[in-house]
Amino acid sequence: MKSEKWKVLSFDHSPWRAGSVSDRKPLRHALVAVLLLLLPSVLLAAVDDLPQREQRAQDAAVERVAPSVVSIETIGGLERVDDVLVNTGPTTGLIVSPDGYIVSSAFNFAQQPASIVVIFADGSRAAAKLVATDRSRMLTLLKVEGKHDLRVPEVSPPESWRVGQWSIAVGRTFDTARPNVSVGIVSALGRVWGKAVQTDAKISPSNYGGPLVDIHGRVMGVLVPLSPDKTGEAAGVEWYDSGIGFAVPLAHVLKIMPRLAKGKDLEAGMLGVTLKPGDKYADPPVLAGVRPNSPARAAGLAAGDTIVEAGGQAIISRIQLTHQVQTRYAGDRLHLVVLRDGKRLARDVELVDHIEPYVRPFLGILPRRDAEQTNGVVVRYVYPKSPAAEAGIVAGDRLEKLAGQPIIDAQGLAEQVALLEIGHEASLEIVRGDGAPQKAATAGRGTDKPDAPLVVKFKPAAETEQVPDKLPEARGEAPRDEDLPPVGAVDLQAGAFTNECLAYVPESYNPAVSYGVVVWLHAAGEFNRKELLARWKPICEAHDLILLAPQAPEAGKWSPADVAFVAAALTQVTDQYNVDRLRIAAHGYRTGGALAYLLAFQTRELVRGVAPVLASMAGELPENEPEHRLDFFLSGDKQSTGKPAKTLREHRYAVTVQKTPADRYLNEAELAELVRWLDSLDKI
Amino acid sequence: MTKSSLLLICLALATACAPAAAAGRAKAGDSSLGQTVAQVEPKIVKIYGAGGYRGLEAYQSGFLISGEGHILTVWSYVLDTDYITATLNDGSRYDAKLLAADPRLELAVLKIEARDLPHFDLHTAADGPAGSRVLAFSNLFGVATGDEPASVQHGVISVRTRLDARRGAYETPYKGPIYVLDAMTNNPGAAGGALTDVRGRLLGMLGKELRSSVSNTWLNYALPIEEMTKTVDSILAGKYVKRSADEREIKPQHAWSAQRLGLVLVPDVLERTPPYIDEVRAGSAAEAAGLRPDDLVIFIGDRLVASCKAVTSELERTDRADPVKLTVSRENDLVEITLPAEAREVKSEK
Repeated sequence: MKSEKWKVLSFDHSPWRAGSVSDRKPLRHALVAVLLLLLPSVLLAAVDDLPQREQRAQDAAVERVAPSVVSIETIGGLERVDDVLVNTGPTTGLIVSPDGYIVSSAFNFAQQPASIVVIFADGSRAAAKLVATDRSRMLTLLKVEGKHDLRVPEVSPPESWRVGQWSIAVGRTFDTARPNVSVGIVSALGRVWGKAVQTDAKISPSNYGGPLVDIHGRVMGVLVPLSPDKTGEAAGVEWYDSGIGFAVPLAHVLKIMPRLAKGKDLEAGMLGVTLKPGDKYADPPVLAGVRPNSPARAAGLAAGDTIVEAGGQAIISRIQLTHQVQTRYAGDRLHLVVLRDGKRLARDVELVDHIEPYVRPFLGILPRRDAEQTNGVVVRYVYPKSPAAEAGIVAGDRLEKLAGQPIIDAQGLAEQVALLEIGHEASLEIVRGDGAPQKAATAGRGTDKPDAPLVVKFKPAAETEQVPDKLPEARGEAPRDEDLPPVGAVDLQAGAFTNECLAYVPESYNPAVSYGVVVWLHAAGEFNRKELLARWKPICEAHDLILLAPQAPEAGKWSPADVAFVAAALTQVTDQYNVDRLRIAAHGYRTGGALAYLLAFQTRELVRGVAPVLASMAGELPENEPEHRLDFFLSGDKQSTGKPAKTLREHRYAVTVQKTPADRYLNEAELAELVRWLDSLDKI
Repeated sequence: MTKSSLLLICLALATACAPAAAAGRAKAGDSSLGQTVAQVEPKIVKIYGAGGYRGLEAYQSGFLISGEGHILTVWSYVLDTDYITATLNDGSRYDAKLLAADPRLELAVLKIEARDLPHFDLHTAADGPAGSRVLAFSNLFGVATGDEPASVQHGVISVRTRLDARRGAYETPYKGPIYVLDAMTNNPGAAGGALTDVRGRLLGMLGKELRSSVSNTWLNYALPIEEMTKTVDSILAGKYVKRSADEREIKPQHAWSAQRLGLVLVPDVLERTPPYIDEVRAGSAAEAAGLRPDDLVIFIGDRLVASCKAVTSELERTDRADPVKLTVSRENDLVEITLPAEAREVKSEK
């Protein structure tokens, strides 16, 4: 009876759970509780005060789990992972089977060690083999041989968990003979897309891989660094000892153990859809796009569909869908119901670990931008060796139909080409320059009928990275309207923002003609209005460009939050002037270049090209998508362009690299090349 | 009465009594912590000195260890000036004199001219077991000024261990026992503060900001009082003799080396080259003991040796008069091999 008394007093009356006395406990517990509670509390306090009882319960909890907590030493491997010096000290693991399976945090093995040694609580050692890693929850399964009676910890039942209850983090890293302890409470359940329990105990490399236990010493979960928006072994490590720590529930670990034990890594599942922007907690998930090569595409999902059910759960908000997808692994099936035109369609998809990036198909032409447009697109320039050149298309041709569908304008043709498949033949109907159809020079099936268009076949290739050496005029003369918005150097007021913002609109501005926009983002503290206008005025006049030069706030330094101001200024220009959305580029020098990346990544509907000079990439690179086109023109030395170019090309973006010295902005010839790139942003 | 109705009544009673009982006890708990804080705060001192530029704060914490104004604190650049001031809990300010500092323990004793001050007695200091709840008193970030009391943080002793338990992990002259804490005490100005148990008994002095060169994380720790008592006593008695900060470990005159054992490790090309055996010399002790090429040396004695450099330095510490126990990893097994001690040569080498 003595132990029972102790148990009731010490555990169920923690301040966080007062009042919830053992609702499901056996009868004798309740009886004991009543008897004890009827005693005057003064007497109780005298016998034993609360902090002391809690202390004893915590000590007992640690003692109970300690034999299952092991220390892990690694030998060899990388010195750095993701530019972070890796932990080479001992780390922690948790025994999960009597015959030698041990689970730990993937972070502890990020350096890919040559050898792993496990040191048990009794001091004995054994070599361990890395079996497999769960890359969604960042857990690693180890196996030691020759053990049969290892102490497996008790599992804390998840249905008993309450936010506010005690939670104790246990590691074995400072001293292999003693566990190290941090005490906190459960801060939240179902965190990081439903993957983890959150605690305010101090979680760090000193206990990653160890257990988070309840006040009874039963294991709630395995401590790992996790991040809601980043992936990789080191993601979430920046929150170490911050009071934000995560543990993957042990019940889940035990469930996936048989899969990991087969030696195959588990990867996070991907569906391959992009959602329309909106409030993630309030708005339903409406598909903005379905990625090519994705399970969603294979299942026939389409932009505009609303997902209303996933995995048997009704889906009302975007976040609920994220939860359903993120908690599953690649290879898991997910049953979806989508709403399309008022009808419910059921689809079964198998999630994948990797979606081949989209490669934008390319025809190889620049369209003319004449003010008086008729149907179709008139070719301004044909890229040498491009599919268009090989099909015999020449400047002056009018493209009228693609794969039997009429071509309305350049924007429409770009969208049509974006959905073609690379290497698969497509047909184009063209009319030769003077209006009369002629036989194409090389390939193509001509016809002798005077009014019948010429049909040529072409196979789209990957988008070119070359910038034409010389470009013909983009348009002829156009009659000019008298009623004009302000032209020349204009000072803009962007919405509610108080920052200064200069724009230069060509004196010859003609509302009948469409203009490109260059957003110039200056380097920290380097805004020179006179110099800027002298440089860009002739370029803007000659190439139908509007310059937009927002200024950083007081200190002249950009911060990521300034994206909102720049976007507001840009929207103002597109509202007020005739802007060709295919030719809007963010161009910045040093920190301004970093902001250019950020602006493009965060406002994809606004920006079409990014041209940073001597800048490193900022923000999270989005996936290449047919709906959102982004081209890159990187200037600088190898150090500043090398890494971004590599990353961008891995994501299959078109990147043009211009080598320039590390100590200055572009010279005249370099600027001229940039201008030709700007002038060819509407390439199709 | 059936069992279930009895249960119902019991539950009803329990629910009715629980809040009152819990409230009563919570209050008792609070007031005892409150009492502890009230009793400790008057002994904490805010210390101001040199610094205040390039991210170096010009303040730290300390605590009174005698009624006559002796203050124990950490030795740091803050004390490297002729103008040290100490502000007591009641806001009174004193010029403080540096009596002595010990560079190995990184402690310093200051003296102010005062009498009958509340203070800790180092000789009645307590011992804190791992997992026990503690309070840390310090002026971290210089939040408290004048008569404002120092900040109190609550946590547990994460583990009691030695700073050199992981050799080379922390760049500090002190390598002895420490309390690792789960309270975030590793912050500017906290060093020199007092660590007490929940009853206000002194356990240790908060250490300086320390970053692990191994895990790359900050360490929250305190030095146990018993490690400092002897030095402080000799300072108070005026008998303190300054020791050198870099007392090096004494290495044996006749130490082992890989060559002496008959081992050739793989070329040491990385910062931490895994110590694989490249070659075992024919006729050597290593060969006789059964070491093989491609064995990975993991432990020498009980020391983990994760790199070729670690093997070299560990062997330098091992006397040839002692046997060498190697643990190697061979085809995913750990194999223990002991090489016998060398018979000491009669003639000593010069």
